[in-house]
Amino acid sequence: MAAPELDSDVLIVGSGASGAAAAWSLSRRGLRVTCLEQGRWVDPSDYAHSRPDYELARQTSFAKDPNVRSWAEDYPINNSGTPIHPLMVNAVGGSTVHWSGHFPRMRPSDFRVKTLDGVADDWPFTYWDLEPFYDLNDSMVGVSGLAGDPGNPPRSPRQTPPLAFDAGCEAYLRGLEKLGWHWWPSDNALISEPFGDNRSPCNCCGPCDIGCPIGAMSSAHVTYWPKALAQGVQLITHARVEQITVDRAGRATGALYYDEQGVRQSHSAGVVVMAANGVGTPRLLLNSTSALYPNGLANNSGIVGAYLMFHPVALVSGVFEEAVNGQRGPIGGLMNCQEFYETDVSRGFVRGFELQLSRNVGPLSVANGGILGYPVPWGNGHHEALRSRYAHTMTTSVMLEDLPERQNRVTLDSELTDAHGIPAPRVEYRLGKNTQRMLEFGIARARDLFEAAEAVEILVDPLVRESGWHLMGTCRMGNDPDTSVINGWGQAHECPNLFVIDGSTFTTSAAVNPTSTIQAIALRCADWLGRNYREVVE
Amino acid sequence: MTAQFLTPEELALLSLVQNELVPSYGDLPPAGTLGAALTVDAYLAEQPRLRRPVLTTLRAIEVRAGKTPFAELDSGRRVEVLRKLENADPESFSELVKQTYNAYYTRPDVQASLGIDGPPQPMGFKLPAFDESRLARVRAMGKLWRDA
Repeated sequence: MAAPELDSDVLIVGSGASGAAAAWSLSRRGLRVTCLEQGRWVDPSDYAHSRPDYELARQTSFAKDPNVRSWAEDYPINNSGTPIHPLMVNAVGGSTVHWSGHFPRMRPSDFRVKTLDGVADDWPFTYWDLEPFYDLNDSMVGVSGLAGDPGNPPRSPRQTPPLAFDAGCEAYLRGLEKLGWHWWPSDNALISEPFGDNRSPCNCCGPCDIGCPIGAMSSAHVTYWPKALAQGVQLITHARVEQITVDRAGRATGALYYDEQGVRQSHSAGVVVMAANGVGTPRLLLNSTSALYPNGLANNSGIVGAYLMFHPVALVSGVFEEAVNGQRGPIGGLMNCQEFYETDVSRGFVRGFELQLSRNVGPLSVANGGILGYPVPWGNGHHEALRSRYAHTMTTSVMLEDLPERQNRVTLDSELTDAHGIPAPRVEYRLGKNTQRMLEFGIARARDLFEAAEAVEILVDPLVRESGWHLMGTCRMGNDPDTSVINGWGQAHECPNLFVIDGSTFTTSAAVNPTSTIQAIALRCADWLGRNYREVVE
Repeated sequence: MTAQFLTPEELALLSLVQNELVPSYGDLPPAGTLGAALTVDAYLAEQPRLRRPVLTTLRAIEVRAGKTPFAELDSGRRVEVLRKLENADPESFSELVKQTYNAYYTRPDVQASLGIDGPPQPMGFKLPAFDESRLARVRAMGKLWRDA
């Protein structure tokens, strides 16, 4: 344990997917853990699902983009330099508070991109090193799905069966079977049967993207946090961190933050763990300048904030003559198709993509453009057009592996600040050539799918602006301090008692939703830190 | 009910515009007649960012209508005026359309016309369970991933 005069043994910044998992793991070993979270607990009454105007929440209180949502707890982001807007939730549980819950694992090849395909970099560990932590995480959060997918390595039985299968699934299957492509019911962090501590199963209400009012979604605030708090973790909400402090030797000493009353506070700890997401973590490290780290903490290499990866997403919708009841049932993660996941250079690009077969939204969101942004025309014919789409539309995401490129990065904005005067992040990002070729190919395959499924109309959004949920790579893992910020245990090369455990850690992005991997990495890093705490702080 | 933000004249004009944006359907009156203007007025009172585009559009209507007030035009001429406005300032006009849709499609009577019994919770929906037999072909595909 650290010296008793310290406020905590471990200070975690951020209470989302990774921070929650690490708080549970570290406190289980008897360490005194404190977590600083700039947001609050989402109140059950905040959810709109029981009101007829529930769909308005997508535009207001539960908007995906923090610049639109503008909770007092949010910080602004300068998006002017990116075609994809970063999305996040600043609350206990982080972005798992409202998400689709799609919970796939990366494949073994995703960790060996350089070796297998000659691009980007290999991770400092393998899929097999991470596998026990994937299993542990699944058992903690509760996953619906089905083992046995030939597209992925064998895995432990899922905690609950796959989610419901309806007319929309049948429409997809018509196309998939005709084409002979791979598909499998998705793993979802959404339970289909009772699981855990009195958690109710999904009742297929639909709009998971504006939160889950019944606790069926395996969000961090209903999975890890109750257990972590029971183990004695101190969670301080409305605590906006300004910077990580260091001593004269360059070791992290804790954090400065503003409390709910706006009063500046300090918190000391033996180890600081960054879990503030792929934008928030580099923002705080870059803002933590000192004599030893003039470019930001652990950033003498200049890599903090660089190599930002999203998962660029195209959306393709099929409108069907028959009703597919697309708004009933969990909105995302219904089935996936990994037919084009592994590299085939004859396609004109390396690496691959996944087709995520999803449902749709209610009538208001359809009228305003649905998931794709094609508003139903006003005037004569409006009602007929609305009725041809509403409950007749299914939507597929074409989700790509994004290769790390140094110029894609998070920096500090020179003018924009949050409510406490802390510099806001500025995001600069452009699509690489490989990504563009893959995007075009993927859209064409999604069209093939809907044509085979006998859709009567196909709509395409070739690059979704509001798709930056997956924030990765900005404090990348690696063995070389010149090309990475942290090692395979999340430990900063330049500052041995500073750890990073969120999506910033990703060396490459794979082509699947990252949260299960983020949490598995957090558990693996926390396990190592817990076993080696004394050596780390001494 | 009285408006919180718009003047009575603006409210009346908005209502006429909404009747062209979302006309009647079956037994359902058009959006303006249903009261969507008052709902949009409440949005404007709550969300200042909506005011500029909606007011810009409303204030441009009489200019576009010319000598005859918008209220005295027939439906065909009103639509012509609105199309011109939409072409001239699509961003502002689309915000007015969006807020009209917001007001219209959040009404339980409108939702009922689409077969919706109520909000998603607490009832949810009952859907069939997944049938594993559907996976027979895929299971036979064999290993599709690369070990590494």
